Order: sequence, then structure tokens, then C-alpha cells
Amino acid sequence: MTLFFSLIQIVAIPAISPLFVGIIRKLKARMQSRVGADIFQPYRDLSKLFKKDEIISKDASWITKIAPYIIFTVTVVVGAAVPIVTTIIPSFTPGFSLLPLSDFIVMVYLLALGTFFLALAGMDSGSGFGGFGSSREMMVAALAEGGLFFSLLVASVASGSGHVPSMVVSLQTLPFTSFMPLIVAFLAFFIALLAENNRFPVDNPSTHLELTMIHEAMILEYSGKRLALMEWATANKLVIFIALGANIFFPWGVAASLEGHAILLAFVLFSLKTGALLFSIAFIESTMAKFRVFRVPDLLFTSFVLAVTALCIIITF
Amino acid sequence: MTDFMTILGRYGLTYAAEREGNILLFDVPAVELEQVVRTLKHEHHLPLKTVAAADERTNKGVFRIHYVFGIPKEGVFLVPTLSVSEADATFPSLTLVDQEFSVYEQEIMTFFGLVPKGHPRAERILLHRENFSEDLYPLRKDFAWNAKQEPTGKEMPAFQQFDGEGVYEIPVGPVHAGIIEPGHFRFSVLGEEILKLEPRLGYVHKGTEKLFETLPMERKVALAERISGDSSFHHALAFAQAIEALAAAELSERAKLLRVIYAELERLANHFNDIAFIMLDTGLSFGGSQGTRLRERALQWNERLSGNRFLRGVIVPGGVTCDIDAETVRKFQDDLEVLEEDFREIIEAAKESDSLLNRLHGTGRLDAKIGRDHGVVGIAARAVGINIDARADFPYAAYDGLQWSVPTESSGDVCARFFVRIREVHQSFRLLSQALTLLPHTKGNLTASIGNLPFEAHAVGIVEGWRGDIVYFIATDDLGALSRVKVRDPSFLNWQVFPYVVTNDIVPDFPLINKSFNLSYTGNDL
Repeated sequence: MTLFFSLIQIVAIPAISPLFVGIIRKLKARMQSRVGADIFQPYRDLSKLFKKDEIISKDASWITKIAPYIIFTVTVVVGAAVPIVTTIIPSFTPGFSLLPLSDFIVMVYLLALGTFFLALAGMDSGSGFGGFGSSREMMVAALAEGGLFFSLLVASVASGSGHVPSMVVSLQTLPFTSFMPLIVAFLAFFIALLAENNRFPVDNPSTHLELTMIHEAMILEYSGKRLALMEWATANKLVIFIALGANIFFPWGVAASLEGHAILLAFVLFSLKTGALLFSIAFIESTMAKFRVFRVPDLLFTSFVLAVTALCIIITF
Repeated sequence: MTDFMTILGRYGLTYAAEREGNILLFDVPAVELEQVVRTLKHEHHLPLKTVAAADERTNKGVFRIHYVFGIPKEGVFLVPTLSVSEADATFPSLTLVDQEFSVYEQEIMTFFGLVPKGHPRAERILLHRENFSEDLYPLRKDFAWNAKQEPTGKEMPAFQQFDGEGVYEIPVGPVHAGIIEPGHFRFSVLGEEILKLEPRLGYVHKGTEKLFETLPMERKVALAERISGDSSFHHALAFAQAIEALAAAELSERAKLLRVIYAELERLANHFNDIAFIMLDTGLSFGGSQGTRLRERALQWNERLSGNRFLRGVIVPGGVTCDIDAETVRKFQDDLEVLEEDFREIIEAAKESDSLLNRLHGTGRLDAKIGRDHGVVGIAARAVGINIDARADFPYAAYDGLQWSVPTESSGDVCARFFVRIREVHQSFRLLSQALTLLPHTKGNLTASIGNLPFEAHAVGIVEGWRGDIVYFIATDDLGALSRVKVRDPSFLNWQVFPYVVTNDIVPDFPLINKSFNLSYTGNDL
């Protein structure tokens, strides 16, 4: 049972991530008075890309070749330790558990490892677009890190643990009135989520204008199965952030056991919470213009300040 | 009508002038050219409309260069003309007198092999040296229109290099991600700031002006319609007006009103599209989808009225081919009211988006002096406060009798170009509503007959396309056949200021600035 469950936990995020992307696209389309593609379209896109031939620039080094595997693996590994419907961590034998991975600091910096390789891959093929994509990505990543790290630290301090499943369990028992700093921290986290996942108002995931791109500029030289892995990893990362946001800052309902009714309730609540987050992202992308690049630091600094404020409240009271 | 012959006297010029169609043409010796140009352009501020060279070696033994100045409100063009012998093959450059001449002189140098003496940058434009050998002058009469060119094997010229820590180049194009025309842009960038942009155009050279000389008359209008697909109607209209001026044809009131209706429909469709895409390029997808929806409505009316979404086949010299019956006029009026209300609501919503306005304000600012010096036209000119509009300055069709105004802004940034378009849309609605009200009360033939064209005559056709004024200068030979058609698309001038506009802006704002100009590549590179 545990082994079966552990396998489900590991494949869960890669399995549902294209669906999340499909849902955001569908929501955006409806908000923009378009019909939009089916919510399962990203699965078809991935399967198409996996079957396609690949072209790799002759100027590219081994980095271009292995970066997609590293980036994809990072998101799968981190994803396996993220609580989705339960706080139980996959373990295969008592000696081999994903427990160390579920520390929030490990998660944040494993994802940063992915970003690092993504930026390297952007510059590797020597194209001008990849170069400025990487440069912008590093600017955004460096500035978003503060807000991301400190907002999770707030939850960690509030719950007395750095271990994400324990954080969730402990926060579930926190009285509702003590949630104020967590709400502030969530705002900081949400801004970091938008920046880290290349969403509005920082980046535009659906633009065709190379000169305005950040994330897309870095993967512009990829094709075929490596592009599929890159796209898939991006989707995984989005789900990781959404799941963290939904379950840490709104911890209610996450099951502490594998009982059927608890899992079912957790599943329903997870769908509602993530649905609301997806809707917010789609709403932002349909109703506002993207920020000019040099206004992005202001936004990310706001995220950092919010997170530090929340931390101060927690420590002081 | 002004007494043609006294006009020259008004400017203190004493040349023997010949009246042909709507122009007053007079020969000027090379040594006096500069003085004449100074008098007309600097003292009397007559706008330069085009400079057209023609190869007249077979019947006159010389090349001739026509400098076309318009007299606003009078519909008359003064054309000092210079003769250049083949042996000399040089003409005095006026670029140091006035920057506006620069690109015309480079064009003449490229296509006729006449060298502008004293031009600070006497370089060939448009024809890439990898594909066209440098002793090839395609608009000379001894160049066959169907001559095949082999690649010359030469390298493409180097771009200007910038040194310094952190300076790098971004090559963009000629093939782009969207469905747009080809053009190469070389950015030299420091961080995100653009130090220098060098556009390299000329990837769509089609030999259009040469084709005008060879195609049969009935296909020339179709050719004009295809010069710049988004301005099909206006290009055809400018060409037809030039022919009508030559033939002294009088159009019926009804044909004139119909021309206004179709012209404003084309303007509406394109302005809707640009307004949509400016918003879309900032990422405001609401504005993008609503604006393209309105454009589609305008195109559907095009199709309903004329059978063609881009109004092709509507214009013939002497009039129009498609009438609008009273029943359709009523439906069209009702629908226009709905459209205008729709548009108003969308713009109200856009104006309330701080994130949109923040992106537009101050982005891609065109300096008014640079604009004036290079003779920018159309939206780009009106956005820096230059009040020019061929509909008002050189009234044609039925514009003279209708109530409307020319909107201008002063800041010269993307925001100004955005709002000039918005205000022009309202003026177009105003014009359409008046024209549609008047239309049922007019009668008359849709087309006036065009007889044989006079021999060895010249004429100008000018219209305000949605980008800016489109100018056709045409000439007939000793048999009355068209021997030269010089097309001046607004993009030809506005591309000149483009590198100045983007300097010191940031790279990610470039697509937005580009869209706010929305210049034609093919109209620039005939």
C-alpha cells in the first residue's frame, strides 16, 4: 500500500501539471471572449513534441543537451515531496525516504538549481535572444528569492518546523486569529509565484515577441523532446508553487492519513484552492498589461517587504 | 480655381512653366536648383511631396528629376525639374540644404545610377549588394523588367560596431515570429538599453515601379492595390486620382461620396487593428481581442459592400465600381452606431488601465525636430503636433464638403500615436455618418470615362492613407502611355526616423514602439 501510494505521489505532479496549464489557458480564453483550446491540449502538445525531430545548434555544448533532463528531474524530485492531498511523505523502505527533500529550504534551492541550468542553457547556444533571456531571468530570480524564501520562513516560524508536511499539520491547528501574518506572507509568496513561473505582470508566457520574452527566450532554441521536457518542467514548477501556496497558507483539509474519506475531502478542497489560484492568475493575465522590465524590481521588492513584515509580526507577537 | 500661370510669380520665380493636369512643371538649371528649393521649402514652407526621377533618354536624351512641392488648399503642385545628361550622371545634392531630400537622392542613386554630388552619405539603399550588382540600375529604360539576377557573391555590409564593457548585439529577423513582413534589425545594446538600431530592409523588392511601365492599363490599378495590402484602397485611389488629373476627368458627386465611405472604412479597419495590437503588445489581451473583433466587423462590411475584404477592385480611374443601395445604407448606419458605441466602451476601459498607460507614456518618443527634418507624415507626424493630413491639405473625393477635423497630439510617444488613432477613428465615424446621410440624395454615374491620356504629361495623385499620405507621380510618353510611375508610400519617409525613436529606449519596449508606427516594408521597398 505504502509503495503504491509513494509511486502515486511521485507521478502526481507531472501527471496533473499539463492539466493546470490547460485550465489557465482555457480560463484566459473565456475571459478574453475566445473559445480556447480544450483543457487537455497541453498533453497533446507534449506528446506531439516527444515524437518530433530535434535540432540542436552546432554551437551548443553539453549544457544544452543535459539541461532539460536536470531541470525536469529537479521538478519531479521536489514535486514528490510536496504535500498535495496528504502530509505523508513517500518512502520505499525505512531507509529510503524522501523526507530530507521536504524541507522548504531544500525545495527552494533545488528549484534554484533548475533555474541556474535554465539560464546556462539560454546562453549556451550563443543566440542573442537566449542571452538576454538568461540575463533577465537571473535578475528576476535573484529579486524574487527574498520574497519566496522569507514568506515560507514565516510559515516555518509560525509552525515551528522547516519540514513542509509538518508545517501543514501544525498550521492546521493554528487558531484562525493568528493567521494575519500568514495572509501577508501569502501575498508575498503569490508575487514570487508569478515571477518564478514567468507569469504576468513579470513575463508573458503566450507572447510571440522575442524581444519581450524572459522564460520563452531561454528555451527558444529547443525543439522536439527536449522542448517537451522544458515545457513539462515549467508546468511542474507551476503546480509545485500552487500546491505549496494552497497547502501551506490555507492548510485546512490536507489529509494526515490514507483513509478514503479524508483523502476525498482533501482532494475536493485541494481542487477548490488551486482552482481559485488558477483563476487569479488567469484574471491578472486578462485584465492588466505587463510591467515594463524596470518596474519588475519594484514589485519583487514589495514581495520581500511584505514577507519581512509578516516575519516581524510573527516574531514580535 | 487659381490662375495657374500667376502662381510662380507669387513665389518670385520667373521660369517658363507648363501646366499639366494638377501640376506646374518648370525646368530649372542645376546651379539654380538650390535657390528655388530654398525659396519654396524654407521661405514659403511648401511641403515636399516626392522626388521622382525618370529616364527620358529615348525622347529627350536626358534623365529628369522632378521635385514635387504641394501648395496646400489649392490642389496644385509645383514641380521644378532638373535635366541630367547621361554623360554627366550627377546632380547637386540638396541633403545639406534639407535632410528630407536625403533618402530620395539615395533612392535615385540606387535605381537610376545618378550620383547626388555633395551627399554626405551617398550610399545605395534597398537593393542588397549580395543580390544586385552595383552597376545595375533597375529603373533605367534599358533594364528589362524580367531580367534575372544571380547572387553576386558579395558579403553583406558590416553593421556599425560598438565597443565597451557589457555592450552586445542582438540580431533580429529578417524572419520574425509573427505573421509580419521581413526586415532585419541589428540592435547594439547595453544591458537593456538600445544604443543603436540599424534596420536593414529591402527583403521584399518586387520591381513594382518597373511593372507599372509594362503592365497593361487595366492591370495597373490591381498592381497599385497590391503595393501594400493593408492600404489597397488608398494606393489604388492615389493612382486613379493621378490618372484622373492627367485626363481632366470630372467625377460624379456619388462616386466621390462612395470613395470617402470606402476610404474611411479602410482607415477604420486598420486603426482598430493597430489599437488592438498596441494594447496586445503590452500584454493587455482584453484590448487585443476586442480591437481585432472590431476590425473584423469593419472587414465584413468591406466584403458586404464591395465583395472584397480589402476593397480590391472597387477603384477604377474615373470612379468606383460598387454602389451602395438605400436599404444597405440604412443598415450600415445602424451598425456603425453600434460599432462606435462598442469602440467607445473599449477605449473607456483601456483608459482606466494604469498598467497600460504606464507602458505607453514616454515610450518611443519621436523628437519633433527630427520628425520635421526628415519629413515624417501621417500618424507619426500628427503625434508630434505637425498638422498635416492630405484630406485637409489637398482635398479630394468629397472631403471638402464634410465636417471633420485633424486630431494632433504633442508628446510624440507611443501614447500620442495611440490616441491620434483613437481620435481619428471618431473622425472617421463622423465622416462616414455624413457621407452615408448624403449618399441617397446624390445621383450620377459611378464612373466617368477616361479618354486617351495626353502625351508627355505629368500628374500627381495624393491621398491620406491610414498611415500617412500616399503620393503617386506619373508621367506619359510621346504616345500617351504611362512611362513612369513613382510611388511614395508614407513608410518610405517614416522608416528614416525609426532608429532615432528607439535609441535610449529598452529592448523589450521595441515591439510596442514598432507597432505604434506599424510601417509597411513592402511599401517602402517597391
